[in-house]
Amino acid sequence: MTMTSNLMLFSLLLLNVVSLCFAEEFFDEKLTVRPLKDGKVASTLAFTTILKNASPRSPQKLHQDDDSQQYTLFPLALGQIIREYGVTEMHLSLNAGKWNYDAWGQPVEPGVGTGAELWAWIGDGALESVDVRWKGLRNALAGLFCSSLGQLDDLRTTSPVDVFLPEGSLPSSDTQQLRHASHPSENVCTENLTPFIKLLPCKSSAGLASLLNPHKLFDANWHGMGDEGVEVRLSFQVVSDPLRSPLATKQDWSFSTLFDRTVERSCPAARSSVVEVSLPRNSPYSISPEPTAAEEAQARYNVQAMAKPVDVSMKWLHEFQRLNAQQNESPATPLSIQRTLKEWSQSRGELSAAITNHGAYPVQAIYLETMPWIVQFYLHTLTATVDGEAQPSAISNLSYIPAMPHSRPTTFHVLLTIPAKSTLRLSMDVTKAFLRYTEHPPDAQRGWDLPPAIIYPLGLDSQPSRMYTPTLLVDLATPDFSMPYNVIIFTCTLVAFIFGNIFNFLTRKFVVVSLRDLPKERND
Amino acid sequence: MDEGPPPAGRSWKNTLQKLRGRFKPEKNAAEVRVRRRRAMIQKLHQRLPFLKVLLFLVGYLWMVAIPYPDLGRTTYIDENALQPAQVSTYWDWADVHNADRYLDDLERLGDRNASSAELSEFVKTEFQKSGLPAATQKYTFSVGSTNVTGVNAYAVSSSPRASGNEAIVISASWIRRHEGGPTELNLRGVSAILALAKYLKGHSMWAKDLVFVVSDGYLDGMQAWLGSYHGSKQNNLQAEELLYASGVIWNALSIDYACHSFSHLGVFHEGLNGRLPNQDLINSFERISRFTGGVPVVLYDHAKNVVRHVGYQGPGRPSGIHGLFHPYRIDAFTIYAVCAQGPHGFHALGRVVESTLRTMNNLLERLHASFFFYILTDATYFNKIGSYLPSAILVSVGMMFHGLDIWVMSGWRLEEQPSEKVSSSSQERGWVSRQRPVLHALTIMMATHILGALVFGSLSLDNWQTLAPILFAVVAVVPLAALLLRSRHHSETAPVSTVLKALNLCFASTIISVISVLNFSLALLLAIALGIPLAISTPSSRLVQYPAYILLAAGWLLFLPEQTQSALWNWEVLSVWFAPVAAVVTLLPM
Repeated sequence: MTMTSNLMLFSLLLLNVVSLCFAEEFFDEKLTVRPLKDGKVASTLAFTTILKNASPRSPQKLHQDDDSQQYTLFPLALGQIIREYGVTEMHLSLNAGKWNYDAWGQPVEPGVGTGAELWAWIGDGALESVDVRWKGLRNALAGLFCSSLGQLDDLRTTSPVDVFLPEGSLPSSDTQQLRHASHPSENVCTENLTPFIKLLPCKSSAGLASLLNPHKLFDANWHGMGDEGVEVRLSFQVVSDPLRSPLATKQDWSFSTLFDRTVERSCPAARSSVVEVSLPRNSPYSISPEPTAAEEAQARYNVQAMAKPVDVSMKWLHEFQRLNAQQNESPATPLSIQRTLKEWSQSRGELSAAITNHGAYPVQAIYLETMPWIVQFYLHTLTATVDGEAQPSAISNLSYIPAMPHSRPTTFHVLLTIPAKSTLRLSMDVTKAFLRYTEHPPDAQRGWDLPPAIIYPLGLDSQPSRMYTPTLLVDLATPDFSMPYNVIIFTCTLVAFIFGNIFNFLTRKFVVVSLRDLPKERND
Repeated sequence: MDEGPPPAGRSWKNTLQKLRGRFKPEKNAAEVRVRRRRAMIQKLHQRLPFLKVLLFLVGYLWMVAIPYPDLGRTTYIDENALQPAQVSTYWDWADVHNADRYLDDLERLGDRNASSAELSEFVKTEFQKSGLPAATQKYTFSVGSTNVTGVNAYAVSSSPRASGNEAIVISASWIRRHEGGPTELNLRGVSAILALAKYLKGHSMWAKDLVFVVSDGYLDGMQAWLGSYHGSKQNNLQAEELLYASGVIWNALSIDYACHSFSHLGVFHEGLNGRLPNQDLINSFERISRFTGGVPVVLYDHAKNVVRHVGYQGPGRPSGIHGLFHPYRIDAFTIYAVCAQGPHGFHALGRVVESTLRTMNNLLERLHASFFFYILTDATYFNKIGSYLPSAILVSVGMMFHGLDIWVMSGWRLEEQPSEKVSSSSQERGWVSRQRPVLHALTIMMATHILGALVFGSLSLDNWQTLAPILFAVVAVVPLAALLLRSRHHSETAPVSTVLKALNLCFASTIISVISVLNFSLALLLAIALGIPLAISTPSSRLVQYPAYILLAAGWLLFLPEQTQSALWNWEVLSVWFAPVAAVVTLLPM
């Protein structure tokens, strides 16, 4: 099970009278359940709080006292952070697991890169620079979500504006700057879910949020959380596997099997509370209870109007055909990505990414690497091959900001043209840094997690969506910090010392030459 | 204490003067030091013959003593994260039944001599039926004029909730491990892999990806698979790219199970070029097998452990497919089912493997403690580096002393009538210094090494076995050319042979010391092969002695064709450096 949390907030909050806000807050909740083609089930819980007539705090006024904030539904803790640092739009995601695009398709929330990812558009023009506020923002969020977001420091911060476009409209009055950082080795667990639930008006005691049962959620194959706004959207994505047990033969699921909970009562603060289930197209199934509304491929439930407890379940008539799922079905996304780091020595390696276009038309996509300085690129070795044949024209518009040792990460950004029904393979030699001994983490022998690369397809459909590659682990040259090697070093030094002495004894002859006597001898 | 009593002050000064008198005599201090040093040298020189014999004797006796358990200690677990045998295993009779069904299918395929492609396709399909993404990989090695081809099958089980940056490999080769004997199919090993794949993916506790590999052939298939996985380039190998990849492989185990049932589980651990896996892994397995599976563990399949260890490690040949993992910094070993009438089968094996994988899964870092240098004398006894390394080092030190001694002696000549002008030392009047023909000696050494390289090069030809007698003859005759250099010897310079012997001894000693930490067994073999022969070699070309040396140096060409062939194969296919090193170094005694 994986958990991503996408927190995205834009154009926030109250400059005006408090009472205005009371009238303008809405809370909607929605659960989307999709059976996936490899037998797993993806569920996305989205909690949206809308705050009308609010605008972000102007950076020019950041040094002045802010208006007082008072909300009924909107999470105050989040609102305070956003206003304190003058953030226009912000996305935070915390994920565990790796999203399998080929089998699971495009996720409902696009930010599915393993670990923590935070990006924000911040208005410029305040007394404090954007970087200072960015630092404050990530530390505040680290405290709020109990995660090590404070580690998203300058070593990881980049500004790839072409890929992380704002999802809301940015105020035109100020120039806006993007800050992006990801931390792949952040582990997501219950301690992040609890503060997440605290941001919801009904917590986890009523409505769809009551399905957020950590025991089941953190046992799934993938999970995620998110939020957006003038709205704040908090979302939680989970991929569960009803077929995990070798004894299970059918893809059947229900709220009780997915979450080990049912919806006992609805959340009175919610304006709407909806469950959407994607219906399979070509295999017989039954779904209960009867949906409130059913379109061709989708069943809709209005939870507030239903008899409680609500336990939506879906049963298949036939057994799940694992072999067919493996062999016959085409990938669920038009592009498949594989990225590997092949390491054959302590200092060098080869980074390669293979992107396959399954569609009948050529696809253009931006490929983005935001690599910490510990892995540095040899850009002259960059090669692009299409189905095994070199094709330099497949890459264009390359922009490259090289890494600075011990500080800035690399930003590598290139436009790819992937012909129809073919595989484009990018490969590049890399060198691995030699760290100062204080820079090694406490678990030095584990290696370093590298952030995912991002593919941003252009013109595939109206709404392009980022695709994340899996993260990588790199082994840097690591001193052995354990005691026995020190013993070996001491012993070797001792042996060398003794050897040197004995060598001298055996090969050199020491003679006393008296300088006073010397002239006498000459005279003789 | 500025107002100390005068008598005390005086006595203090007296003592100081006395002390000063002792440490700083009237004579020059340097002179005293030199005298002391010379006295020490003289003592050392006097005792040098005894010392050399003692070093050789202790060294060789120590080598003989290595197998005795009293020299070692019992094994223990060093890495706390491993927590072996602490989990409940869920592998059950239903899974044993699955394994039996797979075995039936495989036996049917084996009986009708199914091709590699058919077998790998079967394995791939079975992986897919279990719901795992699986693929096959074709490969071709060209060794000499022959081609070795095959097809590997593998599957990747992604860990739930984890990034999949680390992986554990569970593998079995189609042909079970064998040492020159008839080949046997590893059918039960493969069916165990299939059943394990189906069973293990049903658990959510895996923090690392599990990669199941069924490699074709014995060693070749795994070498090709690992090469593709790590992107290492090998000129004589053509292999398909892998369709599915996982993260960095930390640990691997391979299963070798061919007969109906087994009484013990054996451990094979020697890797390419004498690399060993971290001992914690083997110790964990031993405990798991004993406590979780109830199966006793033996080293290899039975006795003669240390001799076998040296036999594998010395030439640097892997004792199973696990050895191919070691160059990629992966700790791996083979679980070998020792054939017997019972009582154990798939049930015990499955539980042991499951628990061992759980132990590997517990690791937060690579195994990195100092447990890479050891000699297992038994499954539960081992020698630490400190208790075996000195044996080879002592011989090496003895050789070095001997070499340096000869070197010093070669610079001096005892003259009947001492002439003071030539002598630089007033005390040893009988000794006259003479020149050492270092260049000649070095030329001969260089020439023998080039000869060694040429012999090795010619062995890479296809029909080397017919060439072997000719090569042997050449090797036997060529060193006689060195006699040409010897004949120009006169009394002003030392004999070339003496200088050559001194340099050879020093060189061999250095090589033994250096290799002893890389591959102790090889250092051991070199110490035995080079130590005494080099030390007692004399310039007189007696008729008996010369052939003996030639046989030692090049006899393997004639008398060990099979071993030579396999060493060559290892070099070409697996990059084991024993063959070239042996060819180049062993010609040295001449």
